Amino acid sequence: MSSDLRPDLRQQVTLLDLVDRVLNKGVVLSGDITLSVADVDLVYVGLRVLLASVATLEEQGMPVAIGDALR
Amino acid sequence: MSADGWYLYGVVEAPPGPLDVEPDVELVTEGPLAGVTSRVSLDEFGDSALSERLGDAVWLEENIRRHEQVLERVLASTTVLPCRFCTVYRTEADVRRFLSERQDQLTAALAEVSGRVELGVKAFVDPERFAAGGAQENEQIRELTAQTAQAEGGRAYLESRRLERLVGDERARFGQEAASQLHSRLLDAAERGVLLDLQRPELSGRDEEMVLNGAYLVSDRPGFERELAALAAELSSRGLELELTGPWPPYNFVSEELRG
Repeated sequence: MSSDLRPDLRQQVTLLDLVDRVLNKGVVLSGDITLSVADVDLVYVGLRVLLASVATLEEQGMPVAIGDALR
Repeated sequence: MSADGWYLYGVVEAPPGPLDVEPDVELVTEGPLAGVTSRVSLDEFGDSALSERLGDAVWLEENIRRHEQVLERVLASTTVLPCRFCTVYRTEADVRRFLSERQDQLTAALAEVSGRVELGVKAFVDPERFAAGGAQENEQIRELTAQTAQAEGGRAYLESRRLERLVGDERARFGQEAASQLHSRLLDAAERGVLLDLQRPELSGRDEEMVLNGAYLVSDRPGFERELAALAAELSSRGLELELTGPWPPYNFVSEELRG
């Protein structure tokens, strides 16, 4: 990180930033792979809904693993 | 009893030089390209098992984070073309066949992002800071603010409602203007850039309204970050807040032919 950038500009990466990239972008393959493209698409949509529902807890200052919301 | 499959995280140029990666991460080299892989149990990552796992949020979060961590450690040493989550082949030969069949596209896509990283920039408008800052540049708002401060009773209420509406409209206008100014100046400091979907407050984890969610492919990081700092300095007194994420593997800059 260059030192002239104000430190408050750098933020913790949210799980949503991660999900939006890892599940929705990148090289997408069909063919010999074990899982269909449509399956991962479905997971992506589901995860976004799940993240919205746990966001309330995070706003209250509690870092929540998405899994915790289901326990 | 269980057979192994090959989880493919991404593709690098071969040979990539020394990589500081987790011990179970292996390179599968085929000609000028190498797949960044690890062996996974097909009990866990085979098609039927996997559909079940994909409903398990704990498993998902763990593996999404792992996918990104593996790629970030590779990214620290070399350019990597990221694959989507859960790209799993049954055999090493399948991985090699993919690398050789798509060699031209992969090589071209790698060349496009070589020596560059993806940086994410998000911008938000803070309503209170905007009301005290940017909104006061509007003469009508300044006047109404002064009037409202002097008014009493029912009139004070009506005028403060009118002021709120006016500030709200002005904030929306400022947000759009700031977003387009930010994007155009950040594009000048980057090789390429794309606008991603804005995240609603319940998803962004912030109360402020998001006005920009951009991803930029950057070769001169210090230059890009200087420009971002300059923009922050120019716009923060008016209520704009900026967030920087990355460097990311270039997820948003994988060429269309490789996007399924």
